[in-house]
Amino acid sequence: MLFSKDRIGGVLLLAFCITYGFLSQNITLLPIQAKAAFTARTMPEVLMVLGIGLSLLVVIFPGANERPQLAGFNWGRAAFFLVLMSAYGLTIRPLGFILSTSLFLMAGFAMLGERSALKLFLVAVPLVVCFWLLMTQGLDVFIEPLPWFLKG
Amino acid sequence: MIEGILIGLGTALNPLNILFVFAGCLIGTFIGMLPGLGPMSAIALMIPVAASLEPATGIILMAAVYYGAIFGGSTSSVLINAPGVASTVATSFDGYPMAKQGKAGKALAIAAYSSFSGGVIAAIFLLVAAPFLAAVSLSFHSADYFALMVLGLTAVAAFAGKGDVLKALLMTVVGLMLSTVGTDQTQGVPRFTLGLIDLTDGISFLLLVMATFALSEALIAILKPSGDDKRQEEMEASSNLGSMKVSGEEVREMVPVIGRSSILGFIIGVLPGAGATIASFLAYGTEQRLAGPEKGKLFGKGSVRGLSAPETANNAAATGSFVPLLTLGIPGSGTTAIMLGALIGYGIQPGPRLYIDQPAVFWSVIVSMWIGNIVLLVLNLPLIPYIAKVLAIPSRFLLPLILFFSLIGVYFVSFNTFDIQLMVLFGLVAVMLRFLDFPMAPMILGFILGGMMEENLRRALLINNDSWSFLWQRPLTLIILLIALCCLFAPMAWSNIQRLRRGADKAGEGG
Repeated sequence: MLFSKDRIGGVLLLAFCITYGFLSQNITLLPIQAKAAFTARTMPEVLMVLGIGLSLLVVIFPGANERPQLAGFNWGRAAFFLVLMSAYGLTIRPLGFILSTSLFLMAGFAMLGERSALKLFLVAVPLVVCFWLLMTQGLDVFIEPLPWFLKG
Repeated sequence: MIEGILIGLGTALNPLNILFVFAGCLIGTFIGMLPGLGPMSAIALMIPVAASLEPATGIILMAAVYYGAIFGGSTSSVLINAPGVASTVATSFDGYPMAKQGKAGKALAIAAYSSFSGGVIAAIFLLVAAPFLAAVSLSFHSADYFALMVLGLTAVAAFAGKGDVLKALLMTVVGLMLSTVGTDQTQGVPRFTLGLIDLTDGISFLLLVMATFALSEALIAILKPSGDDKRQEEMEASSNLGSMKVSGEEVREMVPVIGRSSILGFIIGVLPGAGATIASFLAYGTEQRLAGPEKGKLFGKGSVRGLSAPETANNAAATGSFVPLLTLGIPGSGTTAIMLGALIGYGIQPGPRLYIDQPAVFWSVIVSMWIGNIVLLVLNLPLIPYIAKVLAIPSRFLLPLILFFSLIGVYFVSFNTFDIQLMVLFGLVAVMLRFLDFPMAPMILGFILGGMMEENLRRALLINNDSWSFLWQRPLTLIILLIALCCLFAPMAWSNIQRLRRGADKAGEGG
């Protein structure tokens, strides 16, 4: 089968290995290292050859001919969570730990089907506050709890 | 050795360390019980906590989480036929039918006694084997270490499933490639940093592990249609665990099985690349053949032997996998690869010198295995009916929490929001690759061993005046590399021989 799971994966990794190979040529070498048997480029170049060779073998001799099953999965929901995680990374500093994490959890619970606003709040906020207390008081790991506009 | 055991006992019996063994076993059981989350995710989630502890305490905590997760996996296998871990799949073959017959309590007790016995017996083997192997490996040179790492990486392919050898090798190379990102260790030149300062120190091992295991497992669960209703039904059906008593006849049936499966599991666990999953299936198959036609028929229908064998073997293998880690500094499995990363994070280099330089770490890990197994039996078994309630937590609450703990675990180590974005990217790629059935564990193994492999190769070349001849002139290096080649080509040769045999049989039938 032309578009089997193995072939698609093999092509994706082949592209990765070729890009890696190109980038390996950007590694700068000092003039004294030019004739050395082992430089900062040696390992990446060996890996590039191995990677390209193996991914070609996977494409040419796929182990299984199974097609990827895309139907029946919640792709939109997974995409939402990827965006949500990325947004969490961007907001954790400006909004502070407690607000950003509470919003992250509440949005996550709601997206997965929790409809009660009270439950969203009662599960997320106490848990986040307890976790923050455990980290700061118990393990001495300080993280800014408040948003920028409430900081002193 | 006695002195070492006393040092280990002194460290492991420290009240704080005992507390962490208790906590680790409990947390591990809790996480291992959640379908989809295995020991790798459990240990990865513990790394940020372990990083703030003393090295011996941190490693004891992670080892306890490891056993706890395997034990937890058995519980969900028995109760709801949803193994939390691959190594407990074989447990569900007979454990779940037993639970369906109203003997869930007995099935859990048999699983617990078998796990305990397998773990304790294997820890005795470890006690003898580890110092011996460590003493032998003191004579190893950089060239031998390089060859050993090549062996460790190729062995992964040898134990990959049918048709998966090439994919496992390719993923190992991808892991090695990722390990080259960052500043070159000796020459100080940046490699593959794409001009980003955040990549100068390379990719964090914790980030990669969390993204490829905990994060991607949670994302795959989000992708799948909700299985909460079925899980709730199964939990209700198994809510009455029944008696946990095991009869004398059943004990007599279990004893020889435990003996055989402990030895088999330990040996398989020591081999690089094999691990608890293969050990559990092998032990199950072996016992089925040894049981004879009468008792063999009971396998898959609630056989005591069928439940005891994989449970003993997977715990013995988990202990056995510590042998190459503690003595050679080479992880035999994905889980021990994560532990190696954590040890390196502490500034401890596992290997033959660990036995001499850090006896407290070396021996306390071994002693803590016994304590951990006792804790699992004494504390976790009676608590199982309560811990099993975790299976009833709706996934709409559980999954965002797993994502949160994964993200914050990485963030708390670096306090760099770039790591969260990189983690999301790796998580996405990992989900794609897992959908395409590309294995993740070989990539982690390659990533962890990459830096050490390059360093040892560089050193070997330096010692040999830039000549590659050490690869064939040093007998030990050559032997290890030849074994690696055998590991690489034996599965391919074996499958070709079988194909030819089948072809010959068909031709015979046709003729």
